[in-house]
Amino acid sequence: MSEYAFRKINIDALEEDVLLPSDLYDPDPRGPDGVLGDAQRKAGEVRNLVSRGDIPGALNAILSEPPYGDGVDEAKDLTTTSLLLILNSTRASEIPTILKSLGQEQQDHLMAYIYKGMAAIGQGSDVSGSVLLNWHAQLTEVAGVGCIVRVMTDRRTL
Amino acid sequence: MSAPEIFQLSLGPLTGIAFSPDRSQVCVCPNSNEAQIYTRNGDSWDLTDTLAEHDKLITAIAWGPNTNRIVTCSQDRNAYVWTQTEQGWKPALVILKINRAATSVKWSPHENKFAVGSGSRIIAICHFDEENNWWTAKQIKKPLRSTVLSLDWHPNNYLLAAGTADGKTYVYSGYIKGLEAKPEATIWGDRLPTGQLLAEFRSPNGGWIHDVSFSPSGDALAFVAHDSSLSIIYASGPNEPPAAHIVVKLPALPFTNLTWTSESSIVAAGHDCQPILFTGSQSGWAISHSLDDPSSTSKPLTPSATGLRSGGGVGRLGNNEAFNMFKAADSKGQRGLAPSGATPSSAGLTPVGPDGLLLTVHQNTITHVEAYEWNQSGEVSKIFTAGRDGRLVLWPVTGGKGLAGRMAGLQV
Repeated sequence: MSEYAFRKINIDALEEDVLLPSDLYDPDPRGPDGVLGDAQRKAGEVRNLVSRGDIPGALNAILSEPPYGDGVDEAKDLTTTSLLLILNSTRASEIPTILKSLGQEQQDHLMAYIYKGMAAIGQGSDVSGSVLLNWHAQLTEVAGVGCIVRVMTDRRTL
Repeated sequence: MSAPEIFQLSLGPLTGIAFSPDRSQVCVCPNSNEAQIYTRNGDSWDLTDTLAEHDKLITAIAWGPNTNRIVTCSQDRNAYVWTQTEQGWKPALVILKINRAATSVKWSPHENKFAVGSGSRIIAICHFDEENNWWTAKQIKKPLRSTVLSLDWHPNNYLLAAGTADGKTYVYSGYIKGLEAKPEATIWGDRLPTGQLLAEFRSPNGGWIHDVSFSPSGDALAFVAHDSSLSIIYASGPNEPPAAHIVVKLPALPFTNLTWTSESSIVAAGHDCQPILFTGSQSGWAISHSLDDPSSTSKPLTPSATGLRSGGGVGRLGNNEAFNMFKAADSKGQRGLAPSGATPSSAGLTPVGPDGLLLTVHQNTITHVEAYEWNQSGEVSKIFTAGRDGRLVLWPVTGGKGLAGRMAGLQV
């Protein structure tokens, strides 16, 4: 089988002009510390808004300028937790109205977080699959399949 | 105005298509290493010539409307320029100097040069070398980071736009010294040495740029990306930020192709299998309507043509009537066919009929949209589309926004 050994060579290591994932998007202008600060502030804000029952306001806050890219894992986790808290504390009957009040950009971000939540099921996440599936179905109805395509395409992972 | 004309040219996908200057012939590649030239014969197309020189799949075909020359490019990393002679079409080799597949080709408006995009992160601008009797290339490499998927020439014959798989659209100078007069300053840039980068734009969510196109005046540039978006950029002047950068995000699947039909309208089509007309200006763009309106078409969806495809192949099972019947019986307990799904529940879904066939004319992704016919005022009155279903469709471009425009398109 020795003639196949060349297949295991990591050609990217030999190529000088290799295209890196980070070449495909612009980094967040706020920098890692700025992003984390923003995420902490928003997490507090969301907790307040949720306790007052203002779900649309909370979603609006958390879905504007979410953290993305490399090196901001703490901010990402914080934002994801806050977002799942919102999704969990929303009555199913209110979902369509809330979704329609979101902007297109925010709908795309929400879809990304729904997928992230689904990926975390069974890994100690406290959100149930049925809640996420319900949000997903309602969001697809409002924002269309284009929204899903944008999430799959986007390199700025949330 | 009339209903669209539909022709089934191939059972498989059409990977390249170009019409002859007088529209009496069409050159297509039926997903193989040969290009076929069909001649129109009433309501059908007869195969008259085969262009066989490439070793691998032909990825793009362009036919110069003034010089009547065809250029084909292929995954075998070659391009050929075909000239019509008494003895048929004769190929001339193009020295591309690329080490990956050629992906797209476009004649410049004056047809003294053409551009080839490739997977080796190179755009080759080719012109004829009298001395050696072949076509040679000047290469643009920077700052391309990925495959060039689409190209378009500015009407001034100098500027070239390129869309790439790294999610960026570039505007270059395609001027070739010694071949043509020095270009004058344009709204996109004033210094124009060969390969000079004049502008670059990113797709909104980083999707591959499937197609780029300059507006008829050349002052605006539009591109469609794989993040289901259409972007239109209005240039303001050399080294200035654009006057407007409009992004339309769609609820449907991504477009793969677009063409301007006038300064204020664009037709785009792609994975949702129907050409859609957009209208707008510097202040904003929006969907006007689909040229393929399933609810208003009375034509049968050419069952004979689709029946030919019964061989099917992997992944086509969903279009099988018997399969759908059993599926409905299994999942819904229905005895008959599923009810017509003319109104899909989600936004942006392509409607599917009870037999599992799409209600749109095209049964698979549309990969080519181009102008077919112009009216006296210079606006496009007919376009053609071709796609992975092997169909060629000629569409009348129905009027713009509002009922009046649509009514004008009706047959009385």
